[in-house]
Amino acid sequence: MATVTLQNAKKSFGDAHIIKGVDLQIADGEFCVFVGPSGCGKSTLLRMIAGLEEITSGSLQIGGKEMATVEPADRGVAMVFQSYALYPHMTVRDNIGFGLRMTGHDKADIEKRTKRAADMLQLGPMMERKPSQLSGGQRQRVAIGRAIVREPDVFLFDEPLSNLDAALRVQMRTEIGKLHQDLKTTMIYVTHDQVEAMTMADKIVVLQSGIIEQVGAPLDLYHRPNNLFVAGFIGSPKMNFIKTTASPGAKGKINVALPGGGRIVLDGKGASVSENQQVTLGVRPEHVLVDAAGDAKLKGSLKLAEYLGSETMFYLALEDGSDFSVKADGLAKAANNATMSVGLPGNACHLFDASGKTILNGSLLD
Amino acid sequence: MFPTPIARTKPWIQRTYKWLLPIALILWLLPLIGIAVTSIRPSSDLAAGNYFGWPSGFDFIKNYSAVFENSNIGWYILNSFKVTIPTVIGAVALSCLTGYALAVYKFKGNLLVFFMFVAGNFVPFQILAIPVRDLTLKLGMYNTTTGLVLFHVAFQTGFCTLFMRNFIKGLPFALIESARVEGVNEWKIFWHIVMPLMRPAIAALSVLIFTFIWNDYFWATIMAQDASVRPVTAGMNELKGQWKVAWELIAAASIVAALPPVAMFFLMQKHFIAGLTLGATKG
Repeated sequence: MATVTLQNAKKSFGDAHIIKGVDLQIADGEFCVFVGPSGCGKSTLLRMIAGLEEITSGSLQIGGKEMATVEPADRGVAMVFQSYALYPHMTVRDNIGFGLRMTGHDKADIEKRTKRAADMLQLGPMMERKPSQLSGGQRQRVAIGRAIVREPDVFLFDEPLSNLDAALRVQMRTEIGKLHQDLKTTMIYVTHDQVEAMTMADKIVVLQSGIIEQVGAPLDLYHRPNNLFVAGFIGSPKMNFIKTTASPGAKGKINVALPGGGRIVLDGKGASVSENQQVTLGVRPEHVLVDAAGDAKLKGSLKLAEYLGSETMFYLALEDGSDFSVKADGLAKAANNATMSVGLPGNACHLFDASGKTILNGSLLD
Repeated sequence: MFPTPIARTKPWIQRTYKWLLPIALILWLLPLIGIAVTSIRPSSDLAAGNYFGWPSGFDFIKNYSAVFENSNIGWYILNSFKVTIPTVIGAVALSCLTGYALAVYKFKGNLLVFFMFVAGNFVPFQILAIPVRDLTLKLGMYNTTTGLVLFHVAFQTGFCTLFMRNFIKGLPFALIESARVEGVNEWKIFWHIVMPLMRPAIAALSVLIFTFIWNDYFWATIMAQDASVRPVTAGMNELKGQWKVAWELIAAASIVAALPPVAMFFLMQKHFIAGLTLGATKG
């Protein structure tokens, strides 16, 4: 049981600055997920916590103790690797018990802990098999078992599910979630899959090029992104962005020009813009209304429709040529190149300034 | 399908293939066949100039027993073992350690050290003959098995290190990291994780070095004068005879001397397991 605290942690390889000063507080028992595009430094950050990468400067505390210069083994962490990293010449039982055996635990204790982990992960029937005789999901379970027996203060997962097929990934996702409920240990989980992030996390940390863009609960990030990057990164399909201008309106309202000449009036909620300020209007495809209700209308011609059964995706080209996607009910239909009129609900619109900072978030969650 | 199976090619290609393949094979094996046939020829054949023709008789038992009766070949073979086995163990063990260090640890000058190991292989060993002889004389190791072993170990370690370092580099590094996070110390990681996975490399390298050292003639003649330390390659000289060269006996001795490396190959063969790391990672 432990908190993890990073203060101004930096990592550089020569002149390449990978982590550019991270401040982060992870509470005891929290499930924290690092997400970000490839190369954003999320794995490096995890490896810094594990002790596999040296921390160039700054501090790392685990359970209140300074750990930046402590050996990985003494940090009380256990790590599950993307590649599983099972010892190929050992049976599942030996794989799970290896670390304990090498660090001088007595036999009965190893036996007890191995059995507990095996029960928890339903590894019982395959304890005497070698990793090459296991399927991907089973290998991943063994790797998790190896972490469990160490009874660590913090679990570290480095994209553990990215080598599994889609169905297995969903299954393992729930299993890891259940594991967290059972063990109530702090877990840090790196992924680039935002579905994993949204479903598993208590707290999501969005990283981009070595900097934390935003930290928050999954729904918080979805509904109240701090900036354009987070707005675009969280949520799939991606949020629609319309480059336009905004001007102050009456009674603290904000008037935003729309392509095709219309405008939408947003409730400023204290935020203000200058006359004709360059802004980006953001609205999620799932919040756009196809029945043309809403506070303002947008017209576009349909370029592509994807009928997924549960939902239908319409990809439009707006009158100024920009792309716009709409997620509609599974029964919605439209002909290609037809002109569609869709409605924008004002309370689902986000407004970002020219530098990408949020001026105004939608108020769906309020 | 590529390549096209021979059975499905044009008839003339099939015919050519059927002729050419055995010819190439025989050409390739000709020296070996020559030695094998000579080793069972009566000495009269060679005196009469029948070097390559059909032997006039088959003196298999006579020639081979003569090898053992007329020379100390048994002793020389023992000497060869005394030089070869410690060299193989020494060079392979040392290169496991150097290879591991160079493959796993990042330190200043890592590449430089590695290149020096590799560069050592580019020095033609003949130019070292005189300095090495002087050195061993000064160290009092001239004409001793220890001297030969130490020298061979020093000379083979460069190549072995290159081989081992590259092999270990190919192992999934996550295995080592995973063990480190588990608190296993570096020596135990080497012994319990890396060494078992290096088995195919150790087997291959052992056979290779065994053959190199066993077949060495150059250093055997330069560093060992005495019959008491002379390995079989140099010791065979004894069969030359005083007035005429008994080629049939030398050929028979060569065949006898070639058997241990062959045996070594078959002994080690089962360790050349491809894909030993299968299942370690996603695969």
